[in-house]
Amino acid sequence: MARLHAEEMVLNMGPQHPSTHGVLRLKLRTDGEIVSHIEPVIGYLHRSFEKHAENLEYQMVTPFTGRCDYLAAMGSEHGYAMAVEKMMGIELPERVEYLRVIFAELQRIASHLVAVGTFGLDVGAITPFIYCFRERELILDLFEMASGARLLYNYIWIGGLAHDVPPGFVEKTYEFLDAFDERVAEYNQILTGNKIFIERAADIGVMTPEVAINYGVTGPSLRASGVNIDIRRTEPYSIYDRFDFDIPLGQGLQGTVGDSWDRYFVRVLEMGESAKIIRQALDQLPVEGDVKSAIPRRIRPPKGEIYFRSENPRGELGYYIVSNGKNVPVRLKMRSPAFSNLSVINEIGQGWMISDVIAILGSLDIVLGEIDR
Amino acid sequence: MIQLLANWILSFDVLSGIGFSVAWGLSLFIVAALIFAFVAVNAIVLVYIERKVSAFMQVRLGPMRVGKFGTLQTVADALKLLQKEDIIPLLADKVLFVVGPWVILIASVATFAAIPFSDTLLAADMNVGLFYIVSISSIVVLGIVMAGWASNNKWSLYGAMRSAAQMISYEIPVGITLIAVVAVVGSLNLQAIIQEQAGTGNLFHWIPIPLPNWFIFHSPFLFIAAFVYLIGATAEINRTPFDIPESESELVAGFMTEFSGLRWALFFLSEYANATLVALLVSIVFLGGWQSPFADYEGAQIGFSVITLVAIMWTLFVRAKTGRLSVYPLGLSLILTMAVWLFPGFAIWMASPGIFWMLIKAGSIIFMLMWFRWTFPRLRVDQLMYVSWKVILPLSLINLMGVAVWMWLTGEIQF
Repeated sequence: MARLHAEEMVLNMGPQHPSTHGVLRLKLRTDGEIVSHIEPVIGYLHRSFEKHAENLEYQMVTPFTGRCDYLAAMGSEHGYAMAVEKMMGIELPERVEYLRVIFAELQRIASHLVAVGTFGLDVGAITPFIYCFRERELILDLFEMASGARLLYNYIWIGGLAHDVPPGFVEKTYEFLDAFDERVAEYNQILTGNKIFIERAADIGVMTPEVAINYGVTGPSLRASGVNIDIRRTEPYSIYDRFDFDIPLGQGLQGTVGDSWDRYFVRVLEMGESAKIIRQALDQLPVEGDVKSAIPRRIRPPKGEIYFRSENPRGELGYYIVSNGKNVPVRLKMRSPAFSNLSVINEIGQGWMISDVIAILGSLDIVLGEIDR
Repeated sequence: MIQLLANWILSFDVLSGIGFSVAWGLSLFIVAALIFAFVAVNAIVLVYIERKVSAFMQVRLGPMRVGKFGTLQTVADALKLLQKEDIIPLLADKVLFVVGPWVILIASVATFAAIPFSDTLLAADMNVGLFYIVSISSIVVLGIVMAGWASNNKWSLYGAMRSAAQMISYEIPVGITLIAVVAVVGSLNLQAIIQEQAGTGNLFHWIPIPLPNWFIFHSPFLFIAAFVYLIGATAEINRTPFDIPESESELVAGFMTEFSGLRWALFFLSEYANATLVALLVSIVFLGGWQSPFADYEGAQIGFSVITLVAIMWTLFVRAKTGRLSVYPLGLSLILTMAVWLFPGFAIWMASPGIFWMLIKAGSIIFMLMWFRWTFPRLRVDQLMYVSWKVILPLSLINLMGVAVWMWLTGEIQF
């Protein structure tokens, strides 16, 4: 009998696809349902952030940083502000530091809520996504209260904040935190312990610590592989050394350490830890203090260069800034965590099915705005 | 029903001259139109209900703007779909592309011909009704493969291949589960199956809990079979958690990717027709069809009182667990119980068979299917196959044997 002619099929997943989290294109080489090679094609959302930054004054770059990782704009702004402040040696008032931490951690919760919800969506569960967005709305309400914007804030400025939080903000944040713990239990009930969900996520796309480190994976995806690296703990920046919080690590509760389920669950746990940090920060928040007092008149960092990294919800967000003493940076390079995290997809996604590739991609939690910049 | 309709047409003086065969043909068309109208209206209502149910589960309001409480939303959507441009991709296989959706729709509507809605309300009283339904509904997969292949799109192809694999492998356990019931009745006629379930009796023949004589309470094996059938049927109609042929987060829209407008609406229509069919079939085969759950007027009174007791306990339980007070189940059962005790006529009506019971039972099953859809994630292709071949199929075979042994033990059959 003559052999049937069989060949691999190249499947273009994206740039228009419901589950690529934006305009990502994955070139899949498929043998039936099995994917033998994944090639991410990026650049569909390229907006020349770095080139823009070379032509803008330092304070003008801040809004652009938020537009990179649009799900964690506070985190990006925080990182950038701290990098320039470190170059200029600005000492911040206590109140600014505390408020910044509160906003960064609120943003972490909001970002992880999107990650958790869309991961559920990727494996076919629609309702948890809506639940997650319900809580995210509350956080966005808090952001709107403080900055007037819900997605891109331009709130954390170099040397301070755009303005102080309005009266009632602290009480409302406490209210949110009180309600939030119950809500996390709800997600666990509807998604985390679901048998089908475990079948879909556990043991899928296992990322060993070696692979993770070789590819420069950072953030929750790295910690899910059992590597205890969190910049908030290893090199505390801002005032993170004052708070008591745990670093959740992947333990392979449902399968292997570093599988998609672990990457999902680490984020769920991290939301609780962030809530803990916010609570402590609110308790210690100084009542007095002008949030604008340290904002410099002219932002001209001394000649030199700096690489400053901070823990964004997606991982290590680094800013490499070269200054020649003028008010415009000579070069600004952003080390975006999602870019490195995405690069690992071929390594851990090979040999799995199309559905699993979607699940693995969802568990890596990428934001295309940050990958393409 | 066609016979009755033909006689009724001939009973008019004006029409009596047309002859019996013409009247017969006319009745055929009328019945077919009625069935199609039922399927279409049913789909529109179900889409609205599904949106409201999903909104309820997701803490939303759902459609609220078009009509009172958004009741006309699906009508508006249907009108929009009718107006849309009819696009056939340039490189598509045009004949198959056009025919595919119709094959699916015709197959799923044709099955309704054998569904008995009450003791008189059915289009065709076939002695192989169950066999007819199972065989006609399996034509659907042909249409899906046609549509998927004709689209000349990789996503559609994946959807179609998945669908073919899924529906064919789930037909086998589903069929065997139904055979277990057929073994009990000794007939493939759906009316005979329903009539066999009249009255009340003991749970599993021996346990002295008075329950309706439905096949779900016939024996432990048929009890399991009912759930096996429900799972298998959910897979057969491509609903979550088995919606992998159209899995929107993976395959964009599966075999429907290239379809739009009216052609897409046909898929949608047949999807809801299939869901309704499965719900109706579950209620016919396992839940007594149009039979009332109460044997007589006193049975209805006692039955509703028990339901109220359960509702009170449920309300207290929910109150203790979550601190919320859910009044609707309790209020509804209280009102019904009072009505049953105060108005004997109502109690008699509740104890009599009819289309009402059929729709109530099928409605509950459809609600369950919606519940599945809005709470479960989706299985993967190989997991789906695993469930079918390694879990459900052996289970249904064991059930078939178990039912036979059970009937021998209870003396329903002798060798």
